[in-house]
Amino acid sequence: YYLFYPRQHHCQTEEEFNWLLKEEVHAVLKQLQDVLKEASRRFTMPTPGLESQLKQENFILGSSTMDQVKGVLTLQGEALTQADINLKVTKSSQVLHFQFREDKQWKLQQIQDARNHVNQALQLLNSRDESYHFKTGAEVNKLMDAVMLQLTRARNRLTTPASMTLPELATSGLMKMFTPPMPGDVMVNFYINLSKLCLTVYQLHVLPPNTTKNFKPTGSSVLHNPGAMFELNNNRFEVSHVHKVECVVPWLSDTLVFFTISLQLCQQLKDKISVFSSFWKYRPF
Amino acid sequence: MSGNSLVLPIVLWGRMAPTHCISSLLVMDDFSTIITGCHDGQICLWDMTPDLEICPRAMLFGHTASITCLSKASACSDKQYIVSASEINYSAVMSPDFLVSLSCPLCLSFVVLQFYQFPIGTQREGRLLCNGHYPEILVVDATSLEVLYSLVSKISPDWISSMSIIRSHRTQEDTVVAVSVTGILKVWIITAEVSRMQDLDPVFEEESKPIYCHGCQSISFCTFTQSSLLVVCSKYWRVFDAGDYSLLCSVPSDNDQAWTGGEFIAADKVIIWTEDGCSYIYKLPASCLPASEHFRSEVGKTEEGSVPPLIYRIADHSDKQLLICPPVTRFFFGRREPFYKLLIQGDSAGRLSLWNIPDISQLQVSSTISLQEAFDKLTPVSAGIIDQLSVLPGKDEPIKVTASVYIPSQGRLVCGREDGSIILVPATQTAIVQLLQGEHMLRRGWPPHRTLRGHRNKVTCVLYPYQISPRYDQRSLVSGGVDFSVIVWDIFTGEMKHIFCVHGGEITQLIVPPENCSTRVQHCICSVASDHSVGLLSLRERKCIMLASRHLFPIQVIKWRPADDYLVVGCSDGSVYVWQMDTGESCVTSGVSLRIHLVQHLFSSSLLLGNLPKYSHNALVVQAMKTNLTDPDMHVLFFDVEAVIIQLLTEEAQRPNPTLVSPETLQKSQAGADKGGSFLANKIFKQVKETMKETIKEHLLDEDEEEEEEMRRREEKSKSLSLLEYNLTMDTAKLFMSCLHAWGLNEQLDGICLERLGMLRPHCPISFGLISRGGHMSLMLPTFKESLLRQLSLATGRKLTLSDIVGKGTYGVSRAVTTQHLMSVISLANTLMGMTNATFVGEHMKKAPARPPRPGGTPETPRRTVATPPQPSNPALQAQIKQGWSQLAAMHCVMLPDLLGLDKFRPPLLEMLARRWQDRCLEVREAAQALLLAELRRIGQSGRKETIDMWAPYLPQYVDTVSSRKYTALFCSQTSFFSHTLKHADWEHAHVKSIMVVF
Repeated sequence: YYLFYPRQHHCQTEEEFNWLLKEEVHAVLKQLQDVLKEASRRFTMPTPGLESQLKQENFILGSSTMDQVKGVLTLQGEALTQADINLKVTKSSQVLHFQFREDKQWKLQQIQDARNHVNQALQLLNSRDESYHFKTGAEVNKLMDAVMLQLTRARNRLTTPASMTLPELATSGLMKMFTPPMPGDVMVNFYINLSKLCLTVYQLHVLPPNTTKNFKPTGSSVLHNPGAMFELNNNRFEVSHVHKVECVVPWLSDTLVFFTISLQLCQQLKDKISVFSSFWKYRPF
Repeated sequence: MSGNSLVLPIVLWGRMAPTHCISSLLVMDDFSTIITGCHDGQICLWDMTPDLEICPRAMLFGHTASITCLSKASACSDKQYIVSASEINYSAVMSPDFLVSLSCPLCLSFVVLQFYQFPIGTQREGRLLCNGHYPEILVVDATSLEVLYSLVSKISPDWISSMSIIRSHRTQEDTVVAVSVTGILKVWIITAEVSRMQDLDPVFEEESKPIYCHGCQSISFCTFTQSSLLVVCSKYWRVFDAGDYSLLCSVPSDNDQAWTGGEFIAADKVIIWTEDGCSYIYKLPASCLPASEHFRSEVGKTEEGSVPPLIYRIADHSDKQLLICPPVTRFFFGRREPFYKLLIQGDSAGRLSLWNIPDISQLQVSSTISLQEAFDKLTPVSAGIIDQLSVLPGKDEPIKVTASVYIPSQGRLVCGREDGSIILVPATQTAIVQLLQGEHMLRRGWPPHRTLRGHRNKVTCVLYPYQISPRYDQRSLVSGGVDFSVIVWDIFTGEMKHIFCVHGGEITQLIVPPENCSTRVQHCICSVASDHSVGLLSLRERKCIMLASRHLFPIQVIKWRPADDYLVVGCSDGSVYVWQMDTGESCVTSGVSLRIHLVQHLFSSSLLLGNLPKYSHNALVVQAMKTNLTDPDMHVLFFDVEAVIIQLLTEEAQRPNPTLVSPETLQKSQAGADKGGSFLANKIFKQVKETMKETIKEHLLDEDEEEEEEMRRREEKSKSLSLLEYNLTMDTAKLFMSCLHAWGLNEQLDGICLERLGMLRPHCPISFGLISRGGHMSLMLPTFKESLLRQLSLATGRKLTLSDIVGKGTYGVSRAVTTQHLMSVISLANTLMGMTNATFVGEHMKKAPARPPRPGGTPETPRRTVATPPQPSNPALQAQIKQGWSQLAAMHCVMLPDLLGLDKFRPPLLEMLARRWQDRCLEVREAAQALLLAELRRIGQSGRKETIDMWAPYLPQYVDTVSSRKYTALFCSQTSFFSHTLKHADWEHAHVKSIMVVF
C-alpha cells in the first residue's frame, strides 16, 4: 500500500510528479526523437525528381540448403530497380534466367509504409519540444499512445508481409516486369519479412481438366506450400515446387531494433506516469 | 440481437458527462445537427438551433477505436446518412436520426473520407473518396461501402496527405487533386466512363507535379473564383493556380505555430487554423486574385512573398491549457438559408465552439459548450444509478461508481465505488428511485442496501463468478482495487473472506477461466494488474497458484489453451507470452512473425465485441458502461419485453386461480392433508402446470425445472441477507411501464395509471436508447430534454417545465424508437390486462408470489401455497384495473398521433412492424399487428400508395408492373384489413427479397 501516502507525503508526491512532467518527460522525448531520427535516416526519403540519385544496394539472395534459385536484387530506397533471377528447373535441370526490364522497377510498399509511419511518429514528437509545458499526465499519455500507434504500425508493416492468393499474385504487375517474360508455370513474389528481403519462386503444373484429384483453391497466404491449387482463366494449377531465398538487409534490422527500443521507452514513460495516476486523475482534469 | 428480441435500453448517465475527446467533426447540410467522433470511438450528435445554440442530443456506440473521419453518405436531406471510419479497419454507415445501421469491415483503413456525387451518365451517385496509409485513393460506394475502383499514381506513388474534389464550371470536369507525403501534386480526372467502371481497373493520374509541400495538412479549392487552390502545410500555406498549378503566393508561419488546415471564406480571404486552436483570417495578395490585374504577377519568383495582411485572429478560449491533445477545427459553408459560414472547433474536453464568420470583421465566439457544461446545467441533475446512496451529507457530488456487476438471478446490482466501498442494492428499486416520483422519495436510506468495506481506494473491478459458471460458490463475490488487492466476499453475509495481495499495480481485469481447465484452475479467478502481471487466485485454496509478471507491455487479452494447460497473454505491443498454468513457467515465447499472427487472431474476436451488452433471458439486465477507462460507470437498463411478458405470464400461471380454488377447498385440503388431501393438491398443481405449459409453449421458451429449483434455493439462501423481499417481476414491469407511458396527454388516464394501476410518474423525460444490428447502440444524452423543452416551448408559445414534457419526448425522437416503444407498451398492457390483480399497488408487490407445489416435493410445499392465499380480490376492482390497462393500450395504439400532434410524433415504421407480424411472442405479435393496422389507417389512401410505390422496386421479379398496379389498387381500395409483411426488410438499402401482401 505504499502508493497511498499520508497527507504530509502528498506535497512530496506533487513535487515528484511536477519534476516528472517538467524534466523527465522531455528527457525521454529527446531520447525517443534521437532514436527515431536514426530510424528515419535509414529510410532515405526520395526528393521529387531526384530518385535516381539514391544509393543503390545489391543483395544476393540464396539459401544454404538448396541452390535451385539464386537472385541478385538491387534496392534503391524503397524500390527494387534491378533483379536477376536464376532458376534451375528440377525436371530438366535447365537453368532459366530472368531480369527486370530496363523501364521497370518494383516498389516495396512495406518499406514505404514503415518509413511514412516513422516520419509521422517523428512529427508528433517534433511538435512537443523542450519549450512545451506538459500540464497533465493524460496529455503525455495521449501523445505516447499516438506515437506508439505509429511505431507499432511501422513495425507491423515490416514483420507482416501482405498475404495474397495465388491468382492475385499471378495477375499482379510483378509478372510483367521481367525479360524474358515469365513462363506461365513460374511465379515470383518479393516481400520484406522482419529485416529480410525475401524472394519466393513457385513452380506450377497445370491440372488436367478431368483430374480425379479434389480441387480446392487455397486462400491468401504469405507463402504457399507445394500442393496449393488455384484457378486462373479456366485453367487449374497446382504448386509443384516452392523455393524461398532471402537476404538480410542490415539497415532494416537496425530500424526494427530502433522501433523496439522506442516502443519500450514510450511504455516506460507511461508506466512512470501511471504510478501517479491516482494523483493526477483527481486533479481538475 | 435486435432482430429477434425486443430490447429497450434506458440510460442513467450520472452527473459526470462521458469523456469525449473529439477527433473529428461534421456539420450536416441543414445546419441543424453537428456530429463529433471521439478518440474512444463514440459519436455524439448535437442539436444546433438557427441562433447557433448547441445542445448534445445522443451518443452512438459502435466503434471501439478512435474515429478518424466522419462524412455524409447521402445527398438528399430527408435520409441523412453519415459514414464514420475508425482506426481499426472498420467503418459504419449510420443515420443521425438516432439509428445506427450498417457496418462493414474493410480491408483498408480510411483516414480521410470525402463524399462526392459522381456522374453516372446523367445521374449522380454517391461515392466516397478515401485515402489512408496506402498510395491509392479508393472510390467507394457510399451506401454499401464497397470499393469500386482506385485512383493510382504511375509516377512516384506514395501516401496521399490530403485531397480535394474540384468541379469546375469552366471545364465541366470533375477532378481529384491530391498532394502526396513527398510533396507531389497529383491530378485525376473523373469522367463518366471512369465512374461507370465496376471492375477494379485502376485509374492513373493525369498530371503529377512536384510542388515541394511537405507535411501537407489540407488542400482546398476556391469555390468563389474557381481558379485557385489553397494548400496548407504545417510550416507555411500556399496558393496555387488551379489551372496550371503554379505557385501564386507562399506565407510562412511565425513563431513555431503549426498550421493544421485552412479554407477560402471569400474570393479574397482565407482562414487558416493552427494546431493549438487559433485561427487567422488573411486577405490574399493581389497576385492570387484572378479579378486583379496583378494576378499571377508573382509566378516564377522563388522567394517567399511578404506576409499578407492579417484581418482577424480568432483566439481560443482561456481553458485550453487543460486540453490533452490538439483540438479539431473545421470550416463549413451553409448551402441554404441562413448561409452561415461556420468555424467549428471540438476539443479533448468534449467542448464544441462555433464562430459565425460574417463578412465584416466583427467576431466573437458565437457559441461554446462542453458535454460536462451541458450536464451541469440540467435541473434535476442527470441521475446516476445509486446517487441517493452516494451523496454524503455536506457534499454535493456523489461518490462515483467505478465498477459494477448485475446479478440477474437476484435482481441485485453490485457497485464498487471510488472510496473503496461496495454497495449491494436491488436494481429495480434503485432505478425507480432515480427515475420515478413516489413516496420512496421521502424515505431515507431507501432502497435497502448493504455496504461492503475493505478496499482502501477505488474499486476497479467486480466479478460474480457463479453467474459465469455454477462451479463457483454462489456466495463468492470478487473485487479488485487500485490498492493492488483482490478481495473475496460472502455476498449473503457481507463478510470479507480473503484478501489477495499479489500484484504490484492496480487490478484492471478479473476473468473466469474456461470450463475445461484442470480442477485446480477451475476454482481460480484470473486477475490482471497494471504492473503487467497476471495471477491465478484460487478461491478454494485461498492462495495465488500462479503469478506471471515478466511482461514489458500492458496486458490486453488473456486466452486459454486448457488442453495444454497454457495461459496465453497478449500484450499491447503485439507480443504473446505463453505460461504453464500449474507451474507458472513461461514455456514459450514465440517468434515475432508468429506472434503477430497469433495476436491478430486473438484480437479479431475480442476487439470488435468491445462493450456490447450480453443478454440472456432476463427481463432486466443492468450493464455498466464507460466511454473511457478513467470515467465513472454509467448504467444502461436493458428491458427485454418478451422476457418481461413471459415472466408475468409464468407468475400468473403459478398463481392459484381463485375461481377454481376457493378458500374453502383449500382449507379442506389442509385439513385432510394427511390422507387423501395430497390428491387435491396434486390436482391443483396439474391445473397450474398445464396452464403454465401452454403459456410456455406459446413463447417457445422452456424453463428448466432444475433452474427453478435452483432459483428457489437461492431465494431461500438470500433470505439471510437483510434486503427487503420484493416481487422482482412486478417491480420490473412497474418501472418499465412507468417509463414508457406517454404521460401528460390524458389527465384522466394519468390518474388511473397513478392510483389504480400503481404506476409512477418520471421526474423528467427519460433517456432511452436504441439497439441495432451487431450490438451497435445509440443512447439519448440527458441533455436531449433541453432541446426538446426549447422546441416544445417554442411550438406552444408557453414557458414549459420539464415535468410538463414528461412522456412527450420519446415519441418525437425517431421512428424506430416510436415503433419499439409502442410495441412494448401495448404488448405489456395487453399482458397485464389478462392477469389477475395486475396492479403495482398493494401487498402482493412486497413478496414474490407463492411457488406451485412440485410433484414429489416435500410435504410442506402444498402448505406453502396455502400459507399465502391469493388476495381476496374485489371483482369490481379487478374489472377497473383491466379497464385501465385497456385504456392505456388504446391510447398508445390509436390516439397518440392526435394527442401529440404530428410535429411531435414520429410515426412508427411500417417495415419494423411488419417484421413482427409473425413474432414468436404472441403478445408482441398482436401489438405489432394492431399498430400496423392503426398506422395504415392513419396514413390514409395516399400514404398507403406511397408506401407501395416505395417498396415496389423490391417486389420479386414475377410481380410485373400490371400486377403491382393491381396490388396497389387492392391496397388502396380496402381501408382497414391490409398490411404487408416485409421479409428481410432492414433498411432502405438492404436487399429486400420479397414483399408479401397479406389479405
